[in-house]
Amino acid sequence: MSDIRQSLLPRDVLSAAKELLYHLDIYFCNLVQSGRQPPQVDSKTLELVEEFILHAPKDRNTPARRMSALQELHLLEIMCSCFQEQSRDTVRQLMFSALFSLQGNQADESRMALLGKLVSMAVAVGRVPILECAATWLQRAHRVYCVRLAQVLVDDYCSMVPGSVPTLHNIHNASPRFCCQFITAVTTLYDLTTEELTPPVELLQMIVSWIQDDPRLVLVTFLNMPLSSSQPISSLDVTPLGGLVRWCVKAPLAYRRDKKLAVTNGSSESDQAVGPLFSALHLSVLQVLMLLPNIFNEKGLFGRLALLQLESLAALTSDLSRLLDQADKQTHTSSADTHALSQLVLDRLAQALQVAMASGALLCSREDLRTICSRLPHNNLLQLVLSGPVMYYNNIHTPPLAFSPHAAHSPIPSHPAHPAHTPHTPLATHPSTHPQYPAQPFMTGMPFPFRPSH
Amino acid sequence: MSAQKDCEFLVKRARELVSDDPYAAKAWLITARTLYPADFNIQYEMYIIERNAERTSSAGRLLYDIFTNFSEQPIVWREISVITAALRSDSQEKHAQFLRGLFETLPSHVQCDMLLKVTEQCFNTLEKAEMLLLLLKRFPESVVQHGVNLGETLLEAEASENVETPVNCFRKLFVCDVLPLVMNNMDMRLPANLMQKYMLKAAEFFIGYVSRGHSPVVQIQASQDTGSLKSPSVSRGSQRYVIDGLSEKSSVVAEPWERLLDILTVVGARCEWQGDKGQRSYVDMLQRVKELCRYLPGLEGDTRSRCCSQVVICATLVLFRSAFYYVSAIQPALFQGMTGLSSGPWILVEDLSMVYSDVKTERGAEKHSHKKRKLADGREKTMSSDDEECLGKGRGRHILVNKTEMPSWSETLESFRTARESWDLLHSHDSLETGKPSDVLQYKIPSRSEFKISKLKYLHFNGQYRKALSSLHQMAAVQQPQPEQQSPSGQTSLEHNRALIQQASCHYALGEYRMACEKLLDVVSGLVPPNQEPTKTPEDQVRVKTKMRKGNDLRLLPCNSKSVLPFCLQLMLACFKLRAFTDNRDDLSLGHVVVLLQYDWPQGEQLFLKAVDKISQQGSFQYENFFNYVTNIDMLEEFAYLRTPEGGRIQLELLPNQGMLIKNPSPSLGLELNTLLLQGVQTMDRHHTVTRGITKGVKEDFRLAMERQVSRCGENLLSVLHRFCINEKIIIIQSLP
Repeated sequence: MSDIRQSLLPRDVLSAAKELLYHLDIYFCNLVQSGRQPPQVDSKTLELVEEFILHAPKDRNTPARRMSALQELHLLEIMCSCFQEQSRDTVRQLMFSALFSLQGNQADESRMALLGKLVSMAVAVGRVPILECAATWLQRAHRVYCVRLAQVLVDDYCSMVPGSVPTLHNIHNASPRFCCQFITAVTTLYDLTTEELTPPVELLQMIVSWIQDDPRLVLVTFLNMPLSSSQPISSLDVTPLGGLVRWCVKAPLAYRRDKKLAVTNGSSESDQAVGPLFSALHLSVLQVLMLLPNIFNEKGLFGRLALLQLESLAALTSDLSRLLDQADKQTHTSSADTHALSQLVLDRLAQALQVAMASGALLCSREDLRTICSRLPHNNLLQLVLSGPVMYYNNIHTPPLAFSPHAAHSPIPSHPAHPAHTPHTPLATHPSTHPQYPAQPFMTGMPFPFRPSH
Repeated sequence: MSAQKDCEFLVKRARELVSDDPYAAKAWLITARTLYPADFNIQYEMYIIERNAERTSSAGRLLYDIFTNFSEQPIVWREISVITAALRSDSQEKHAQFLRGLFETLPSHVQCDMLLKVTEQCFNTLEKAEMLLLLLKRFPESVVQHGVNLGETLLEAEASENVETPVNCFRKLFVCDVLPLVMNNMDMRLPANLMQKYMLKAAEFFIGYVSRGHSPVVQIQASQDTGSLKSPSVSRGSQRYVIDGLSEKSSVVAEPWERLLDILTVVGARCEWQGDKGQRSYVDMLQRVKELCRYLPGLEGDTRSRCCSQVVICATLVLFRSAFYYVSAIQPALFQGMTGLSSGPWILVEDLSMVYSDVKTERGAEKHSHKKRKLADGREKTMSSDDEECLGKGRGRHILVNKTEMPSWSETLESFRTARESWDLLHSHDSLETGKPSDVLQYKIPSRSEFKISKLKYLHFNGQYRKALSSLHQMAAVQQPQPEQQSPSGQTSLEHNRALIQQASCHYALGEYRMACEKLLDVVSGLVPPNQEPTKTPEDQVRVKTKMRKGNDLRLLPCNSKSVLPFCLQLMLACFKLRAFTDNRDDLSLGHVVVLLQYDWPQGEQLFLKAVDKISQQGSFQYENFFNYVTNIDMLEEFAYLRTPEGGRIQLELLPNQGMLIKNPSPSLGLELNTLLLQGVQTMDRHHTVTRGITKGVKEDFRLAMERQVSRCGENLLSVLHRFCINEKIIIIQSLP
């Protein structure tokens, strides 16, 4: 490899980068063909990449080489066709890792910059292999970097060039894996805490239409995930479900805040569209959740893999109780309106909790739910969900859809990276030993404090 | 119970939301369903939302769930019956199409299950059958299990509901829908006798269907139509036929004879009939069984009985089909959808074009008619001229038809020929006549009078007049209970006349002249004489002169006053002719003959001269009606001459005792004729004055009567003869033995 470096040094930046790409291609091909298990990118190669493609300074003595914008564009084109022409997945993945795997060093910044440009370009010209590689990257990289990549795309396609949304829209056809990871990243990015962190309406529309067209899109990464694989530390969630639930639940409050701003600014054009969009999105999320039991059963994962973490939901509920509290205090004029909005928020929360629990996406007991929701204002449906269904006399044999932590399957830790969050550990102890509804020590006909007063 | 309250609450919220925010409504219901998966109302509400939005696939998925989990709910059954009703209907309405699409989304085992269960819940036999039929059509494998049962249920229903005709809704379903499914399912083993039973059921239906009469409402319509509309398609279009219990559309059976042939073909194949490799037509079929018949005597046991039933069934169906086509041509009003095709009903009668020929040859022919008929057998003879066609090959008897009056004459006669061939075949072997299927068909199908009529034709044709007569009496008895009210257009009286004429023709052929005349006079009394005497076409006159035929041909006569009255007159003439010219003196008969000979003058000139000869030989002649009914100038001249010395001074007593001359002066008479006649009268007078002074008054009366009569020459002859028939009915009948 060192002789390669010598041969590259005299060259100009662009041709050196081109030459290195060419060498990498040959090198990885040989590596894969030799059958050594598993082919990995060695540090020497990484150094070459950082020096000749990312132009990170090798040491303080050597001045950093720079490429002009045109040279960079040229290089991106070469990279595009390089990935496009490589027929072997493994080689392509190795190349992508060599170029863009984060190393925790200075070069990561230029790596991210180049990656952002490459993916944006791949979206523009429909380079499926690059999007596939990027999807894998999004599964492995730390969520902070994932969010940054998503931000680049949203900026490029939703903010900077207004008419280019359709181009981005097409990625769900080009690479559903990438699309799924993109949604996860975007829902992670926009947590609706501030106006900046509220998704642009164009993006929202796009995501809603993707999921409405094909609800399973949300599950693509999960479905393609090998059973044994484990998620790297701090990577994105396997599905965007958690983020989407947060969006839908918080949206009425977040956009209410926006509306106030919009009213003061005198423009409220997109407001009308947002409500129904979240309503539709929320329904889609529930429908996706309802797909899960079958998938879990097929994979033998029912009750063993939590797609929604109780912790993140706990964070959501505490967030909500704060927001609702604020809203209550801020608005004295239109309290009826605020009440309706907060009820919508709580309805959606209750629905998401119930359906997630019933579908096995959320592994906890009703007692746990009661704990995380204890500080929320009153809502009939939430009360009903927290207390659980009343047992029918005549349907006593119907198996419950809700997952019980005491069911036959013993849960496996799905995220070894989060050892503190083993899903079968209830947040609160529940004394009931009832096998199906442990959180509900009440029998039929008994008055129950959570029972809604309908 | 609070679970129920929970569910009610959840459904209520969803309902409140559905119009403003359907997504939210659905989200509520999804949540509700996870809380109470066993609650029906929640899932039903979900289904209703999707159904109302006509989202086929999601509604289908929910319907599937509901059907599998809540099949005991009555509301589910209401919904399913709405869907299956849409399946049975042919409505192109959007919602009906949606419902059909919805059904299609269901997995086939669910469809099957659904149809079966709907069928079980159906109490109306017809609906139940239609439902089961849907099942059988979709799931051919279910035919084995349900096919025959369904068929039997329909046949039982038919029996228990006491429907009087084989053309009923149950039979229609059985024959048109169930039977083809059952018959064509090769997985099923059907005993031959069952297939024959089904075959006969099908035959009854199809034959009943083609020969269905008009329903009363339709008839009025049709009779109005035929008056104004000439195009057959138009008048046919206005005819609606609805089988009770079925829609108008499903009451239509297209190509009934072809469908019957299809079924017959399948039955033939399954019963292993001889030489049967997919009959292409009824005519082929007849040829095949004809060949088969030749081997019949050499066969024994099962083979023989199988061949017999094949011959009987095939020949009988050919018979009915040909008979139908023949009868629908000669009696179009009988069958629905046939009006306007031809001029009107026709009657098969003895051909009387020979009536004016000489008595001697006539009598000879009559005497040896039996022999001659036999001689004529097997002789291929065709006689044709420009306007007439004779058919009846192989049997020597010919049917004459006026080609111009019946445009479809060749098809009609061909049908007649085929029908007769199959009839003969059926009666050619004893073993066939005793064959059971034959009995079944004979008794069940021809219960309709139409087919009796056609049957009659064969009897008539074959010279079996006695049999024909008894059939006619039966028919008359059948027709009596439904007099005029059946048709205000005079259809019945026409039909009645038909029967009477047919009877008269048979009586005549049997030599029962008195009976023949009685019938004829009944007919004539019901007729209105045409206003104008038909102008004779030149051909008409040439025709009979140039052609002399055997007396035993048959003629198809259009059944209308124009043709019927002349035929009656001719037949009466034929009745009296023999009597009038016997060696015994019978002035009354001779007088009637003279009166009748006036029609179609001068066709009967020879005969008239013969009558004059007879009078001359007798030297006297007494016929008191003479001046009432003889207005033919040639005849009057001849009689005036008879009284003259040159004429032989014949003593003529032609004046009625009561002197009931009908005064009807006509100034149109030519002067020349008048003077000629008057001269004759005057000379007669002179002779009488000389010889018989006492009869002066009589002579004077005769002269006056002659004068008056000459002035009546322009009178409508048919009116005169019509009057003759009516006024002299009693005398006419009494003068015959």
